[in-house]
Amino acid sequence: MDKGEILKTVNDVFIDVLDDENIMLTYETTANDVEEWDSLNHIQLVVAIEKQFGIRFTSWEIQSWNKVGELINTISNKIN
Amino acid sequence: MLFTSITFVIFFCLFFLLYWFVFNRNFKLQNLLLLAGGYVFYAWWDWRFLPLLIASSSLNYFLGIGIYKARQTKQRSLLLWIGLLQGLGTLLFFKYFNFFVKSTISAFATFNIRLDTYTLNIILPLGISFYTFRTISYLLDIKHGKIKPTTDWVVFFCYVSVFPCVISGPIDRPKTLIPQLTRRRVFDYAQATDGMRQILWGVFKKMVIADNCAVFTDNIFEHYKTLPASSLLFGAFLYTIQVYADFSGYSDIAIGLSNIIGIKVTRNFNTPFFAQNIADFWRRWHISLTGWLTDYVFAPLTIYFRDLGKTGLILAIVINFTAIGIWHGPNWTFFLFGFLNGCYYIPLILRGTLYKKKKITDQLQPALPALLGVAGTFTLVMFTFILFRADSLAQAFDYYQRLFSRSMFTAPVIIEKVNTAATLVCIVIMLAAEWLQRDKQHALQIDFIKKSPVRVIIYYGLILIIITFTATRNSDFIYFKF
Repeated sequence: MDKGEILKTVNDVFIDVLDDENIMLTYETTANDVEEWDSLNHIQLVVAIEKQFGIRFTSWEIQSWNKVGELINTISNKIN
Repeated sequence: MLFTSITFVIFFCLFFLLYWFVFNRNFKLQNLLLLAGGYVFYAWWDWRFLPLLIASSSLNYFLGIGIYKARQTKQRSLLLWIGLLQGLGTLLFFKYFNFFVKSTISAFATFNIRLDTYTLNIILPLGISFYTFRTISYLLDIKHGKIKPTTDWVVFFCYVSVFPCVISGPIDRPKTLIPQLTRRRVFDYAQATDGMRQILWGVFKKMVIADNCAVFTDNIFEHYKTLPASSLLFGAFLYTIQVYADFSGYSDIAIGLSNIIGIKVTRNFNTPFFAQNIADFWRRWHISLTGWLTDYVFAPLTIYFRDLGKTGLILAIVINFTAIGIWHGPNWTFFLFGFLNGCYYIPLILRGTLYKKKKITDQLQPALPALLGVAGTFTLVMFTFILFRADSLAQAFDYYQRLFSRSMFTAPVIIEKVNTAATLVCIVIMLAAEWLQRDKQHALQIDFIKKSPVRVIIYYGLILIIITFTATRNSDFIYFKF
């Protein structure tokens, strides 16, 4: 799976979890760019992404992402 | 040196003149004055606490650089743990040492074992929680790669003891505060006047509402055994308003003062009494602390418990809120206050609506379901504030027992009827203004009123209310003791 496909899948997870059809993620998107994305539902997103890709993040990884691109890189490293 | 004292007014005027007219050439000079001013302000309360603040700042300054430079994860973790142990250890020692000793003595006493031990005469250093939270978030953010450490010790020392938020917050994060300290502040007329308006609003909330409510609530909580249930309900209502007016009033003054010296500080309250459920309430109450705990306590706990589904979420939230409760002090009343607020979340988690943010309506009048939600949330919170105010669990339970009695349907006993009426009118003014201005940073952002005489009438009207109705007793801010 290439990074573009991963981004598309992650985008679908965000739409589903945050219940907002208008979300359009890019590699540069940060939590400040998405209104509903706060530290509370960050974990909800993480759990949904883990289920979607069948992977497991470490606690350090979850707390260290600053933008979507970093999240995509972590997923890519784990599944490829 | 209370914000509302003449001494502080003189001190701040002097500081203002030096800051903008003498030390304004570059940010290094500004920071030196900021640090000196902050330390004078802090030492004015009790100079004996200053060495601890300086020692804590020094240690964490070097730890921050050490964590960043360390090549091995083990080294980074070790340095982080030294910082956490120093911060939390000092906090635990000053806040809870005597409580643990006394609890141990009484636990052994129940088995008829007498322990010969002693308690120390410990005074809590002012603002210790607030500056400890700042140092902890600084180290954690460096460890998680979110920020780089500053190599300018004056900047870091200013960040830890940022004047005027050193005593009681708001707790700003390094990511938002440190960049402001590394560039020269330029006087901004609009920002400064907005700060002055926010101070005026904060003084109104503190000196008129909180201090007047305190007169009644002190009396009601002292004589609750002789009063009807309706008076006790009135007391609980007024105390809830008092805590809000006191702490949000303090925050408004601290934020306003910061604006005058060109520093933007995190918002601490966002009209919490208009929240429609408990999650919404805590997103709007003491935002800088709940946000801090969400990031550094709740988030790691939810990650840890994430395989347990809703049970994990309940566990994380109850632990988090119990921690908030215990943070207020070594008393079982605070423990239960936090625990109960955590339990209030359970229906939201089970219904799956925890993450759904309730938006406050744009309309002038809220719809009936929203109004019911607001009233219900206020009632739930009000009941926990009885615990917050009570001296002991026994007193709180006694208060609850007397509250739920038939005398609820009698008229409350009201002392000083004129003052009560005036206080209630001022509470209505505060709530109405905050409702109408709910999308603004504070209630006095009234630039949309184009006619300046109207704005002037509002400012001077408020000053007149403050002069006329200020309580005779100018009491400490409630949150200074935490």
